[in-house]
Amino acid sequence: MTYPLARTPKLAIGRLSLTRFCQAGGVHPEMVGRLVALGLLDPERDAAGNLWFGRDQLLALARVRRLRAGLGVNYAALGLVIDLLDRVATLERELRVTTSRPTGGRSWT
Amino acid sequence: MAPSRDFYDTLGVARDVSADDLQRAYRKLARTYHPDINKDPGAEERFKDISEAYDVLSDPEQRRRYDSFGPDFRQVPPDVDPQTWARARAGGGRRPRRRDGPAEDVRTQSGGFSDIDLETMFGGMFGGRGAGGFGPIPGADQEAEIELTVEEAYTGGRRTITLAGPDDRRTLDVTIPPGVTDGQRIRLSGQGGRGGDRAAAGDLFLVVRLAPHPRYRVNGRDLTVTLPLAPWEAALSASVAVDTPGGEAKVQVPAGTSSGRRLRLKGRGLPNPRGRPGDLYAEARIMVPARLSDEERRLFEQLAAVSTFNPRSRP
Repeated sequence: MTYPLARTPKLAIGRLSLTRFCQAGGVHPEMVGRLVALGLLDPERDAAGNLWFGRDQLLALARVRRLRAGLGVNYAALGLVIDLLDRVATLERELRVTTSRPTGGRSWT
Repeated sequence: MAPSRDFYDTLGVARDVSADDLQRAYRKLARTYHPDINKDPGAEERFKDISEAYDVLSDPEQRRRYDSFGPDFRQVPPDVDPQTWARARAGGGRRPRRRDGPAEDVRTQSGGFSDIDLETMFGGMFGGRGAGGFGPIPGADQEAEIELTVEEAYTGGRRTITLAGPDDRRTLDVTIPPGVTDGQRIRLSGQGGRGGDRAAAGDLFLVVRLAPHPRYRVNGRDLTVTLPLAPWEAALSASVAVDTPGGEAKVQVPAGTSSGRRLRLKGRGLPNPRGRPGDLYAEARIMVPARLSDEERRLFEQLAAVSTFNPRSRP
């Protein structure tokens, strides 16, 4: 089977209202409110006080739920876990770039 | 459904493990193989197995039944005596007879496991309700490395990759776009971790790793090749052929080129699908013959006598 490459979707396009976000993410609005309060989700708030969620927040929500379901991490600790996981990912990516810098070459001069 | 493996083996514990040690073994493995922590495509399957094994062994009643009836314990009706079962199996796999007897002998099971569809329980590991939400949970993204030669990165093309997993070896035919760079991530939509019950799967990211090349040194999209020159070519100027991934190119070496000078061939590095291609640098490296003929020696000696050039003089 051949799998076409995916174009990176413009995640910022198409913000979701709280209702649509809850539908798409499969969670109760109350739960979303809790996750927002804990800083695990990062919606925008408009002038009327409504929450708007970027599509990337669906991925963030899914990760919160997987970590909660799979490891039993409580929601308060999840913020720390996620920050650390993101930092590790960034460091690993940087490490990959630095270790692949050109080698050899000028040492003989 | 994965072929049944021994739950104790899956968790790496002995059959007489205590509940505490069982939990400790499980927690450790779960942290290692959780798909949000371990991006390896094989990790998810492993995590699923670990979770299933622990779900069963951490429940004393289920563990007892697993010990008695083995991997098929869910197919065994709740009121079957282990010895009858063992005899039935030994006797040619007849279906176990239900024990007739006084009511207090009949073991009643909560739920009756034989009725539960295993796929709903374990098919989607995060499919269960009460896991902090209501709907099924989408799958996690996964990452795998893909090693390409500089030439492959230059031209792009088809590439077949095999992802290892304990039960789930997948072969993907991937189209590499021309001009990928080291560390770049190629996204394969929906090829990552499977989601719970009908939820979206995650994406699989192939992280490009450029294999070390005997000639090209890579920095982003720029390539550097060593350009060996004879002393007179470097001193007098020359037109020299260099290899590039796109074929041979001519480079004009200006007069008075010393070792280490980088001559740029604009746009002859790795292509860029979204902008300017990288450059290719030919780095001059002056070589001398290891052994001189009499005539060469005479000429070099003559040059040495005539020249006032001192490469070590300080300005």
